[in-house]
Amino acid sequence: MTEDAPLLWLRINFKSGKPAYLQLADQVKAAAASGALQPGEPLPSIRPLAEELRLNRNTVAKAYSELESQGIIETLPGKGSFLSQNHSPLRKEIRRKLLAEEIDQAIVMAHHLQVPGQEFLKLIQQRIDALEHKRRANEDDKEK
Amino acid sequence: MNSPTPAIKLQHLAYTYGKAEAVHDLSLRVLPGRCYGLFGRNGAGKTTTMKCLLNLLRPQRGHVRIFGLDPAQAEIAVKRRLAYVPDQVAFYPWMSVRETLDYLASFRDHWNRAKEQELFDRFQLDPAKRAGALSKGQRTQVALIAAICPEPDLLVLDEPTSGLDPIVRREFIETVIGAYQEGNTGNRTILVSTHLITEFEGLIDEFTIIDRGVSVLTLEADDARGRYQRIRARFAQAPPELDLRLALRVRREGRELELIVNGSGPELLERLRALSPEALSTESLTLEEIFVAALKS
Repeated sequence: MTEDAPLLWLRINFKSGKPAYLQLADQVKAAAASGALQPGEPLPSIRPLAEELRLNRNTVAKAYSELESQGIIETLPGKGSFLSQNHSPLRKEIRRKLLAEEIDQAIVMAHHLQVPGQEFLKLIQQRIDALEHKRRANEDDKEK
Repeated sequence: MNSPTPAIKLQHLAYTYGKAEAVHDLSLRVLPGRCYGLFGRNGAGKTTTMKCLLNLLRPQRGHVRIFGLDPAQAEIAVKRRLAYVPDQVAFYPWMSVRETLDYLASFRDHWNRAKEQELFDRFQLDPAKRAGALSKGQRTQVALIAAICPEPDLLVLDEPTSGLDPIVRREFIETVIGAYQEGNTGNRTILVSTHLITEFEGLIDEFTIIDRGVSVLTLEADDARGRYQRIRARFAQAPPELDLRLALRVRREGRELELIVNGSGPELLERLRALSPEALSTESLTLEEIFVAALKS
């Protein structure tokens, strides 16, 4: 049963302009992609989650059926919903999407700070190089 | 047409008390399984509309259909399938809570005892208490238990949370709606009237705002939050004059600009962005803010 499945990590922001069911679905996807939710782990039952988030249970059910149709979760009659064992085909795409959202934030920031596009790209390359350098330095330290 | 029969269909409803017109040409449609909000200020015509639905008032004009039936013709068939909680609940004061519920259950074909017990526990109600000694909040709780246990296809709630303290309100509205919808979700329909919209933010699928008996706006809640937005921009200097007629409301405070928009968000955002603001943000309005914006414009 999924009575004890964690549910406090899910949040709804009505001011985001994104439908509540999509917010829920995206949070489950993000948790799956980051490993916070492991394959086979249960999702909260619809009613307690609906009450916790003060949502209509139709909204939660819609999020779950969306996730089910995408193969991210599985629902077993009488047992509840679980993260699918095999959802790897979507993982890369979701990871990219999550990253794209972060990049978008940085692009908006760059715009406000009046950093032109080319300079922004150069900066990204610099950051990648700098982090790579740091990683190597760490490895060298370990070898010593 | 294979769309399901609406649980509620109102067409050009009108009702006049003497010379005062309470509802004027109101039309709406509630599909089965939805949670539908009827939003309006006090005196907007919400209760009159509900009473026309329930055949407690005869509309002077227009059509009312519940499950495709005329409640004036097929009163028993309709009432068998719905439950109504009025804004003022009254019970026989000498009966205990237990007797009150047994009495109300005797009118019903079906009564879910397990659900009754569950709600008793959640609300911590004492079945031996006399109805006359209940607080207003407890009376409403008993009325809601009585409405939910027959598991009707339609639940009509008239201002269910007004007059209750905020803690009780928060506690029970999602409990009650959750308990009602559990089971046969697809056919459990709710029509709720309220002016306390914030409490129903996540529960409402679709709503109609009425004002002075007239429908002002009908939208899906998600669409409404997508269309009604607040845009804030801050500039290095006071912004130049620009065409903002698309906005519902414009507020200027020095270098800052705040717009309330309905659907024209992307276009206005583009125009503001062209002026290179220092900061630019958007957020959706809540249903309550949409209600205020719709009534002001």
